[in-house]
Amino acid sequence: MLKKARITVAFLISTQLVGCVNLGVQPWERDLLAKEEMALDSEGNDLGLDDHIYFSKEATSGGRAFAGGGCGCN
Amino acid sequence: MRQFLLSLLVIHISFTPLSLSFAQEMAAPDFAISNAQLPNKLSDLKGQVVYLDFWASWCKPCRKSFPWMNQMQHKYAGEGLQIIAINLDTEAALAKAFLDKVPAQIPIVYDPKGKVAKGYELLGMPSSYLIDKKGKIRFAHKGFFTRTEPLYEQELILLLNEKE
Amino acid sequence: MKKKLNISAALASATCALLHPYASANEMLEGWKIDTSLMYYGETDRVSAVEAVIAGQKDFGEEQLLSGKIVIDTLTGASATGAVAQLTAQTVSRPSGEGTYTVSPGETPLDDTFKDTRVQLDGQWTQPWSDVSRITTGLHLSTEHDYYSLGFNGSYAHDFYNKNTTLSAGLAYSYDVIKPEGGLPVPFATKTASINTSEDYDDNEDDESEDDDDDNDNYDNDERLGSSDNKSTVDVLFGLTQVMNRRMLMQFNLGFSEISGYSTDPYKVLSIVNEQGLTQSLVYENRPDSRTKTFAFWQTKYALDFGVVDFSYRFATDDWKVDSHTFDSRLRINLTDSSYLQPHFRYYNQSAAEFFHPFLMEGQVLPEFATADYRLGEMSAYTFGLKYGTKMDNGDELSFRLEYYQQSPKNAGFTEPGTLQDVDLYPSVKAVIAQVNYRF
Repeated sequence: MLKKARITVAFLISTQLVGCVNLGVQPWERDLLAKEEMALDSEGNDLGLDDHIYFSKEATSGGRAFAGGGCGCN
Repeated sequence: MRQFLLSLLVIHISFTPLSLSFAQEMAAPDFAISNAQLPNKLSDLKGQVVYLDFWASWCKPCRKSFPWMNQMQHKYAGEGLQIIAINLDTEAALAKAFLDKVPAQIPIVYDPKGKVAKGYELLGMPSSYLIDKKGKIRFAHKGFFTRTEPLYEQELILLLNEKE
Repeated sequence: MKKKLNISAALASATCALLHPYASANEMLEGWKIDTSLMYYGETDRVSAVEAVIAGQKDFGEEQLLSGKIVIDTLTGASATGAVAQLTAQTVSRPSGEGTYTVSPGETPLDDTFKDTRVQLDGQWTQPWSDVSRITTGLHLSTEHDYYSLGFNGSYAHDFYNKNTTLSAGLAYSYDVIKPEGGLPVPFATKTASINTSEDYDDNEDDESEDDDDDNDNYDNDERLGSSDNKSTVDVLFGLTQVMNRRMLMQFNLGFSEISGYSTDPYKVLSIVNEQGLTQSLVYENRPDSRTKTFAFWQTKYALDFGVVDFSYRFATDDWKVDSHTFDSRLRINLTDSSYLQPHFRYYNQSAAEFFHPFLMEGQVLPEFATADYRLGEMSAYTFGLKYGTKMDNGDELSFRLEYYQQSPKNAGFTEPGTLQDVDLYPSVKAVIAQVNYRF
């Protein structure tokens, strides 16, 4: 199961990267990234509540940090 | 000695926050304008001070920049200031929705494919360029902050007072 | 607009009062973005919780951000004690020593004295450091009747390549005090009043008469180490956010944690069973007083024409030998310009801690550390959820979320002696989560 998981993740990462030869965009091409739903912390309350549930019921905690992305303004 | 002064200049420039002052004056890249209120191309505006502002509907600080630009245009139009707002939305409809909420008393030029923006090598959104009467870029700003409004106004006055 | 301010004033005044008690509510609330949530979490026959969150954020202009959060939650119901189920009824004492309760045959022993209310406060301030970097500092406070936590955190973020790449580093420190009901148990000390009755279970009343003598003091007959202890946690986090293209954003985080101090759960026990699988006694558990954890987290967000795909994977490992994998995915489907539907799927699995034992065998030497808490055992879990959100004309957003969470503990390779083979030592835990959010 663990081995399968690792292979799946490696595959997913590589398929994502194949489509990106030049990483990044020009400042005026951030229209989609500027959308609220594209922010990494767009559902702050949900993520916080979920983290609390899973921290209480499982042995692992943590993971997310919220820097980067967005409209890149200022 | 010369190298020392040059490195001092480079260090000074790299530490200048928010506004980049070009050590050498760069000629403003020319582009065609299709707006009834303006001449056919940027270079036709030589003799006037031009403030070029690159904006988009999804850019939050742009909401603050428009009222200030409207104010500056009214104040200094008589002295030869022309502010032009260049829109970079991929769809004009989005820009129009923004303008319905944030009225603009300055002419808008549409650059949906970013061709003009590329020429100006924008570093962020919004970006503004102050072009003197000779057609050279003298000041470039990345972003818009209300606290720097007086500074930008000083730069406008400086350029307006120059002779052609 | 007026209505909006009144709601803000009513709900967020609690937050603002703490910061500046004498400022007028309206003045304080201008420019605040408030996100409120009310959540119900209910397990079948076990724990239920109701949690309320008020989170606020204010942009002071020039990239300075203040954010705060208040969380209040109440927990009720019963949770597994760690003792094994038996074919006959069992009588177990409560942690506080106040009375006993009876567990019916075949049932997993649950302790029902968990009625607790917790209040949590978080505050955070972000300040630009240069035109391409920011520093953030934060404070965290949490209090409940038997647990207190105080924490500080700080992080630095730097943008590169026109903000296409952001690197961040953060540090957090937390100091927790645990003051369990009934005091700290001695590791592996026998928990008194655990009697196997061979009579059929036909009495619904809890037997409280036996413990009348102990009502006067807070401790039961068990020996205690003291009334409270503490634990410190240091977290280090490194993050990289990268814009891949116009539609895609990725984040990679690497984190390390060092925990030292009291990590045992003072309410959990292990059953000592004989070769026939019959419980002889219950002993308190014991966990190591240090834990070093590492995790790697990767998340991707992709903007589709009709919504957003959000996928993340986290791998975690520690020196307690708990390894876990978490896959979390959300698909936002925009129904109209102002409403959306978002299905959610999460899969989790973990390996058992090195010192996890579902029970201990009579006559064998006691290990240094042992726990039967299923949350440190081998298990997999999945969550299925659906969220619906709608934006109103005034810009406020209302959303509803309904989720189903199932945990399936597994046998990590322990042979069950005698009658233990006939009981379920690894029951599934099923929970429903229902939540409503209002953002303005």
